[in-house]
Amino acid sequence: MLDITLGQYYPGNSFIHRLDPRTKILTTLLLIVAVFLANTAIGYGALCAMVLFIIAVSGLPFMLVLKSVKPLLFIIVLTLALHALMGQGEHVLWQWKFIKVTEEGLRLGVQMAMRLILLLMISSILTFTTSPIVLTDGIEALLRPFRVIGVPAHELAMMMTIALRFIPTLMEETDRIIKAQTARGADFDSGNLLVKAKNMLPILVPLFISAFRRADDLAIAMEARCYRGGEGRTRMHQLAYRAGDVMAFVFAFVMIGLLAFLRWGLL
Amino acid sequence: MDPVIETKGLTHVYIDADNNQVTALGGIEMQIEPGEFVAIIGANGSGKSTLARHFNALLLPTEGNVRVHGLDTLEEDNLWKIRQNTGMVFQNPDNQIVAAVVEEDVAFGPENIGVPAEELKQRVEDALRAVDMLEYREHAPHLLSGGQKQRVAIAGTLALGSDCIVLDEPTAMLDPKGRKEILNTMRKLNKEQHITVVYITHFMTEAMQADRVIVMSEGKIAFQGTPKEVFSRVDELETLGLEAPLAAKFAFELRKSGAKIPDGIITNEELADALSSR
Repeated sequence: MLDITLGQYYPGNSFIHRLDPRTKILTTLLLIVAVFLANTAIGYGALCAMVLFIIAVSGLPFMLVLKSVKPLLFIIVLTLALHALMGQGEHVLWQWKFIKVTEEGLRLGVQMAMRLILLLMISSILTFTTSPIVLTDGIEALLRPFRVIGVPAHELAMMMTIALRFIPTLMEETDRIIKAQTARGADFDSGNLLVKAKNMLPILVPLFISAFRRADDLAIAMEARCYRGGEGRTRMHQLAYRAGDVMAFVFAFVMIGLLAFLRWGLL
Repeated sequence: MDPVIETKGLTHVYIDADNNQVTALGGIEMQIEPGEFVAIIGANGSGKSTLARHFNALLLPTEGNVRVHGLDTLEEDNLWKIRQNTGMVFQNPDNQIVAAVVEEDVAFGPENIGVPAEELKQRVEDALRAVDMLEYREHAPHLLSGGQKQRVAIAGTLALGSDCIVLDEPTAMLDPKGRKEILNTMRKLNKEQHITVVYITHFMTEAMQADRVIVMSEGKIAFQGTPKEVFSRVDELETLGLEAPLAAKFAFELRKSGAKIPDGIITNEELADALSSR
């Protein structure tokens, strides 16, 4: 429990790992747009080929990325089944009483399922190849222009950084409290859901008290180290776009162009 | 040279939870000279932590004043300059580390004062080398030992450019190995980089290593002097709830029972020498 890895970062040093986090966030968004543009078998084929290509370049194990689909597997199967069974259309493939599977419905269902799978895989490649700390830097840098309309970019990033710093510490603490309460005869395993939830109270109360105490200490320590918000602050690790980032953007725009062409032709 | 820290009639009064006025510090007069290694000892509630927080303008005097490098802590314009000059290390190693990577945490202070990136990298590297933690620069803080975490905190103050470091019971939550690490680090910084050290502790063996020991009691300075002078006053320390080092107590008791033992014995070696030369 103690050496948890946060998020699902899969350390590596591939081309994708080394991309600027801003590039990765933005190209991920662009590729998501590309997925929504697909409406033909060729389009989906191209997207699948693209995902396989990115996985190959990133050096991630294919099964690892595929596993990211698992949490939503039920929804994907449901989408497929609903579209297949309820779909309208002329070409009935199979019929049993009032249930009929039409070619159009099946096609739409497969499309929707493909779309979900591709979205999950693309976005999980982002989190697999970017450590949460770097991701935070990227989010801060991307939100910075929106400060003029009141988006607290620095504060959000600071909160995320502190959360990342303290999650392992608080996990350790939880572990210790559970052991301490168990030693005093607390029972966390029996009873129904409601009883179990109630039994969590002796863990939560000390955990919260300690978290507030820590927050207080941390605030003083931050003040002692001249912290006064994001104004006039510099960063040690500055983000910089490199040649690889340009390539990644070109790649993402080519994919969008290709999918747009497959959808609408040459207008 | 001007003193690094100078207090004149420093009084700190606060209102506690039951609405009583509590005088935490009552008219402290003290000076800390550049390059000094000063230990502050005192029983719980003697006001030593409160005093430490005045050195960094985390608390402001109710009466009197505190000057850090000649800058009055009561003047708001001096605040950031003072906090840069006087770094602080707190008791709990976990609760003062901000970032999830060691080098990012060391960079936190200088980032706040707007040090440009290139210089920042150099400062972080120098600071981590000075506390012998350079090889851990990319580690996650929660995987470090208590002593290592405190050394990261010390590096954080060095990177900020502090020439005076105030440590508020930095070893209270550490094991003996960690305690030794911190004390040795501070002695080294004091000797090699002439960093002024104010070391608050309740371990007498640590205070013995200082140039000067200040004994606090009930918000006042009870007495002060070299470790020899302070720790020879065994019975006075005891009335303040402090325990002198074993050798000092031993010598004191021997002297009380009529043995001819010279004054000023505080270490085991000195005691052994005195006994064997008889």
